Amino acid sequence: MKKTILVVDDFASIRDFVCETLQRKGYETLGAANGNQAYQMLSDKPEVNLVLTDYNMPECTGFELLKKIKANPEIAKVPVVFLTTESSPDKMRAAKEAGLCAWIKKPYRAETFFAQIENAIVNG
Amino acid sequence: MLMDNNQKRFVEDALDLLNELDEGLLQLEANPQATAPLEQVFRTMHTIKGGANMFGFENIGELAHHLETLYDLVRQGNMQVSDGLISITLHAFDKVRDLLKEKDATKIANADELKDHLKMAIAFLKSAETESMKVAQASVQPISKKDQLATFFFRISPTVNMTIDGNHPLVFIIQDLEAVGTARTFCYKKSDGNIAHWDVYLSTTTAQAEIESYFLFVENECHVSCTMLLACDLFGSAEFKKFIEEFKDTPTDSGELIAFVQMIASNFNNQAATEDDLADAEPTRKKSYNDTFIKVSKRKIDDLLNWISELIILQAQLVNVTSSVNSPEITEVTEQLEHVTNSLRDTSLEIGLVPVETLVTKFKRLVRDLSKNLNKKVNFLSEGAETEMDKDVIELMTEPMIHIIRNCIDHGIETPEERRQAGKTEHGTVKLKAFNTSSYVNIVISDDGKGIDKDKVLAKAIEKGLVAPDAVLSEEETLSLIFHPGLSTASAISDVSGRGVGMDVVKQKINDLRGYVTIKSTQGKGTSIHIKLPLSRSIIEGLLVKVEETRYVVPLNVIDRIDRISYDELDRGNQVNKMVVVNEETLSVFSLRQKFHGETAVPKTTDIISVTVNGIRKGIAVDRIEGKMQTVMKPLGDAYQQQDFIAGSTILGDGSLALVLDPSRLFQLSDN
Repeated sequence: MKKTILVVDDFASIRDFVCETLQRKGYETLGAANGNQAYQMLSDKPEVNLVLTDYNMPECTGFELLKKIKANPEIAKVPVVFLTTESSPDKMRAAKEAGLCAWIKKPYRAETFFAQIENAIVNG
Repeated sequence: MLMDNNQKRFVEDALDLLNELDEGLLQLEANPQATAPLEQVFRTMHTIKGGANMFGFENIGELAHHLETLYDLVRQGNMQVSDGLISITLHAFDKVRDLLKEKDATKIANADELKDHLKMAIAFLKSAETESMKVAQASVQPISKKDQLATFFFRISPTVNMTIDGNHPLVFIIQDLEAVGTARTFCYKKSDGNIAHWDVYLSTTTAQAEIESYFLFVENECHVSCTMLLACDLFGSAEFKKFIEEFKDTPTDSGELIAFVQMIASNFNNQAATEDDLADAEPTRKKSYNDTFIKVSKRKIDDLLNWISELIILQAQLVNVTSSVNSPEITEVTEQLEHVTNSLRDTSLEIGLVPVETLVTKFKRLVRDLSKNLNKKVNFLSEGAETEMDKDVIELMTEPMIHIIRNCIDHGIETPEERRQAGKTEHGTVKLKAFNTSSYVNIVISDDGKGIDKDKVLAKAIEKGLVAPDAVLSEEETLSLIFHPGLSTASAISDVSGRGVGMDVVKQKINDLRGYVTIKSTQGKGTSIHIKLPLSRSIIEGLLVKVEETRYVVPLNVIDRIDRISYDELDRGNQVNKMVVVNEETLSVFSLRQKFHGETAVPKTTDIISVTVNGIRKGIAVDRIEGKMQTVMKPLGDAYQQQDFIAGSTILGDGSLALVLDPSRLFQLSDN
């Protein structure tokens, strides 16, 4: 069965681009424009295999989304990966402590990107 | 190379984002303390950075990164929002906007295009860091650490089985690590083919904490040790390269490595120092950044100017005192002192000048937003944006100029249909041209709209009783009625230009700055408003003249020539205004003596100073010319505010007072 990845980014062109890239690799994708929307979608569809989200977004940031997901037992198991230009070690550490699986920096190299995603889905 | 679809979509989104960014920046400029626009600006830049990097426009990404860092400093309270900050950001993203409109991805990604803006951003960051370090002392980690080039040694030992061609993220993280600088990696395998450990030598400007964070999410699957070897690029040392290659078959002992590095460190530092001396490209560039911009508080500059003005007065006093001493030595010193004082004055005046460019950006947006509101198509062109003006003057002139531009778009430029019918292009043009003439800055704002209907203006002036119904007015006089307080543009009601300041206020502001404004308009062709402002507000060069016992200063920049005639030629019929033949030309002469002084003890001769003001040559008659001087003008008290033919006063070398004349207003006085 195809794995489903929920892609969260407020910047439509990046979101579409990431979705397309993932689809070419055989993943199903869903898109959300911010953390709140993503959380809503995830609550409706807990079978999502991975949440791939931007860090800086209006309304609900990636970090807030991560905390919300981990706080909800129904979906807490869904692995979350950040895809972001943010590179502050403090933020990374805080996110890891909150249960983040991996931190992929934009721009990514395709190999690293897919390796991290696959690893996150498998090892959660 | 044409853009792929993803890039095209990014460009579209990015252009929208840039508009949002503009708005955010303008809001932030208006409310520097507000957090909402600050957050919006920061986030938008961040998104642009991410997108640009993602779609192969690293140049834009890099620029956005540096600017984002600046706004992050503001967010952390380590920096204030300033005009300068907003301006460099607006300019930088204007350029990005221009670039993104290119069809060719290679052109967009051309790093050269953004080089200047990048330099500016980096220079700004540098000065801000210095500031913030001062402010925050040691509590904030200095960002400059990031730029510090250093060589690191990493030993990464996986605790789970993985192979070099496997799919474990760690394998790729090592590759990412290598990509942040110059790297040499040695991979040691166990007998079963799994990786025992990696040794990575890396020289990079990325901070150690940031590099270490690469391994944050795999820290359960490996041990990482990171040692900073030396704060320089060891790959520049042949010895070092040889050393690490020699040890490639046997894993390096890190103790041995550090000992070696320390040994070569002294050599290498010496070498590096020599390289610096040989004009090493990198440090030189950094130095020149520092030279380009230094942020200095306005107060310090004002203080400096104040002291220099005192120096100028003292210098004048010295000349005065020593003039009676007939000593070549003293004369030589005073002359040299005059020369140095002049240079000092010129240099110090330039400090306070900023390019008009800061205004241009503001106007660009104004034109864009207004024309959209009014459904007109308007292009904004600027010329001579590098022309420099006193910062205070720019600030004082912003509002009046905004008003003029509003008028241009609201009343001047026609709607696209009207323009088509008139045989013009649909796009109207508003142009701002700035240039220097002698000690003036000229600003011409022109449009190619429908022009001013002079008959209408005249009719309205007559209706309001400003002009007699049978008056015959020249074109210039008619047009200048626009500046009359009783004929404000408020009568032409519009959402846009009916509010705020009227043209009378515009004129008043320009007058206050001792500037001039003239208006030209051709019906159907357009209108042009010419503003002329003095370069400096406080220091002027002038001719010191004497009438009876009163001394006046006539600004040197308007003087054409000086003639001495006998007093009898002037004194005919007890009239203040006279026509006198000077240099075989008749000249209308204004006599200060006859206007302000008595007819007692008249001199035998009188000096006629020929002055050109607003294109008209007139003469000022004085008793005697005492000499040329540079002087610091001090404003007169409120009691003299109505005497606008006196621009100010100045203290002379002997401690006495002289009045600085404003020739154009003097002539207005004589005309009335």
